[in-house]
Amino acid sequence: MSGLLILLAFLMVGTLLQHWTSAPIPAAILGMLSLLVFLLVRRRVPSSLAQTTATLAPLLPLLLMPVSVGLVTHENLIRTHGVTLLAILVISLIPGVLVCGWIMSRGK
Amino acid sequence: MSVLLSMPLFWAGLTIGGFLLSQRVYQLTGKQPFLPPMLTGTLLVVTTLKLTDTPYDVYMTGGRYLNDLLGPVIVMLAVPLFQQLKAISQNAVRILLAVSLGSATTILSAWALTHWWIGDATLANTLLTKSITTPVAVAIVPQLGGEASLAAGFVILTGIIGVVMIVPMLSLLKMDSPASKGITLGVCAHAIGTAQALELGEQEAAYAASAMTLTATLHAIVLPLMAPLVT
Repeated sequence: MSGLLILLAFLMVGTLLQHWTSAPIPAAILGMLSLLVFLLVRRRVPSSLAQTTATLAPLLPLLLMPVSVGLVTHENLIRTHGVTLLAILVISLIPGVLVCGWIMSRGK
Repeated sequence: MSVLLSMPLFWAGLTIGGFLLSQRVYQLTGKQPFLPPMLTGTLLVVTTLKLTDTPYDVYMTGGRYLNDLLGPVIVMLAVPLFQQLKAISQNAVRILLAVSLGSATTILSAWALTHWWIGDATLANTLLTKSITTPVAVAIVPQLGGEASLAAGFVILTGIIGVVMIVPMLSLLKMDSPASKGITLGVCAHAIGTAQALELGEQEAAYAASAMTLTATLHAIVLPLMAPLVT
């Protein structure tokens, strides 16, 4: 349970950071970065946090379903531009793959 | 029936049930990359909403219960990132270059193509989040003036397309070392690519997981700061 408390505490830290700095970065991301700094200083993951992570991680796709269901509100857009968007997703992936593959294979 | 359909708990329950069912289908079909439980589950709920003529707002009275838990779970992503830092540190410069340049080229081409072919700024900006793992994409897309639900859809589709394209492309170009495959899958196909890397081998998986978290962290910081340029 204390793992969950750690997560909530850092989410609060993130929310406060965002409030004070009015940075455009979301509170949850600032919370994640603060937790990362905490872990780097501490040099290991507290066992309660490791346990909470193991429990929550498989649920992540479930927690994202309500947002994704919002696709129903974009029916018209999908009908008009669906095919073009699919083509854009396929084509735009090619330069990314070339750049990554080239950098990782170069000079080896 | 209409009482049931207006109950928040019914919609929360349907989401969980739909997810469990989709997970079952995913396992029974040998973990097909084009059937991620999140996609099948979402389609199940969407179909139910259509059949019962229920508006999204009514669905969200229950969907909210699950959605509210996203915040702490995003914070939690620091744990895997911390665990992978060791794996990355030996090859840090090369990996950071691949992550930043690789992800920048793919999202900028998507952004440019959308402006060129469709001419819709909201769509183009939503596509900027396509290479980030879904929870992070959904969190930062409002800052870019994009749409969260569309972002989730694009991210999943990109992952599926990536799983189909990346490994064959790299093999064809003879750039198929474990490091190259892992990093490319992580950068271009985020969590779905990482799941495929897990099946390729341990090395590929470590590279893919690091690339995915690095891309997400980098974009989560850089994209909102660059938002004034595109909105």
